Amino acid sequence: MVRLDDLHPEEAAGMRAAVSRFGYIDQEATPWITPPPLSESTICLVTSAALHRRDDVPFRFGDSGYRLIPDDIDPNDLVQSQVSVNFDRTHYQRDMNVVLPIDRLHELRYAGEIGGVSALHFSVQGASPDASTFEAAAADMANRMKELGVDAALLVPV
Amino acid sequence: MISHYLQRNGIPTTTISLIREHTEITRQPRALWVPFPLGRPLGVADDPDFQRDVLRSALRLLDTATKPVIEDYPHDAPDGGGDGVWSCSIMLPEPEVSDLEAAIRGEVDLLTPWYEEARRRRGRTTVGISGVKPEEIDKVVSFIVAIAEGSGFQQIPVSAEGPNWRHPLPMLVRFAVEDLRAFYQEAVTSQEGTKPPSQHDMHSWIFNRTTLGRAIMAIGHQIADNEDRRLMTMRGLMIPEGFWEGEVSWGELPPGMDRLSFIKSSRAYLAGEEAEAR
Repeated sequence: MVRLDDLHPEEAAGMRAAVSRFGYIDQEATPWITPPPLSESTICLVTSAALHRRDDVPFRFGDSGYRLIPDDIDPNDLVQSQVSVNFDRTHYQRDMNVVLPIDRLHELRYAGEIGGVSALHFSVQGASPDASTFEAAAADMANRMKELGVDAALLVPV
Repeated sequence: MISHYLQRNGIPTTTISLIREHTEITRQPRALWVPFPLGRPLGVADDPDFQRDVLRSALRLLDTATKPVIEDYPHDAPDGGGDGVWSCSIMLPEPEVSDLEAAIRGEVDLLTPWYEEARRRRGRTTVGISGVKPEEIDKVVSFIVAIAEGSGFQQIPVSAEGPNWRHPLPMLVRFAVEDLRAFYQEAVTSQEGTKPPSQHDMHSWIFNRTTLGRAIMAIGHQIADNEDRRLMTMRGLMIPEGFWEGEVSWGELPPGMDRLSFIKSSRAYLAGEEAEAR
């Protein structure tokens, strides 16, 4: 796991079709950026698990916006408006960190391996039929990250 | 794709990758491919040492990579992905459909002590995606049974009125199903020391061993009988491939459409935006 050949053939076909449309991205247009040393860098998380706080506006199907997750969130305040049925939820239901590793980030900060942890993390709804719809949200997220003093982002899919 | 967009706006990124083929095509700036099941990017629940090692490996690419890279994480998840090692130790009656409501309420009653134990020990529950409070799980049962028995996809059934449902119909049905599944799954994984179920184990148990699974299948039949074919997208999001009576859960696509264009064409309707616009 996980190669597409490991999945149900229909599920794999859907994912191949989705990725075949990624060709429009001009990868040469993405600059290479070297962050500060990791031990001095403040890190934020970007999850595509459609996690959000219970009283936040839920993600709708195909929602291309983002939600903010406070670093000190009570794990009981997290719910997940992800629509796909084709991924494991039981590990997340047991332990938030298998999807959103906030506690692990703090352990690395305490050990001096990273410089800091962002006061806010970011959540989007993956499994979108059109990834280009995230372009505006990502630009806005980047601005918020700069305001928060974030040096680099770790993207975590489900 | 978000990694490209973030970098173009000045934020360096590193990514955990679950599907290597996707990452090979999208060529994100820095990616750590992990050989774990979908839904488990840090590998396994309740294993901080393992999770920390995965996290450290992904972050280290920020220090070491000098050009786009896909690095392979060298370790499988400690449970090996978990297929086939789990069996439910809570005995439920045989699934039955003659009285869906009574049968599901019976299952919920049997599972409630285990659910409460899991909630107490973990200090959390994931029930509530549809907007219900965990204490309102009986209203989720009423909702799902009414839909399964043909109340339609346009309005909240009278028997399910009360909770602050937070998604519009029709997609609310999908989230109500997920809430009841979360209740069942949190209950049956409550026992410490037992091997956790894999995704396939969990689907098999829900659809083969519970009346809830029979109700979800009945909703699938209501969708099949409905004039609006766009509901088939929701069935594909609710019933995993391999569990719909030997056929493709998404059903037959309209002529000239592939699955992605079908999803796009049904999105606004399922998200309730068409009804709001009227």
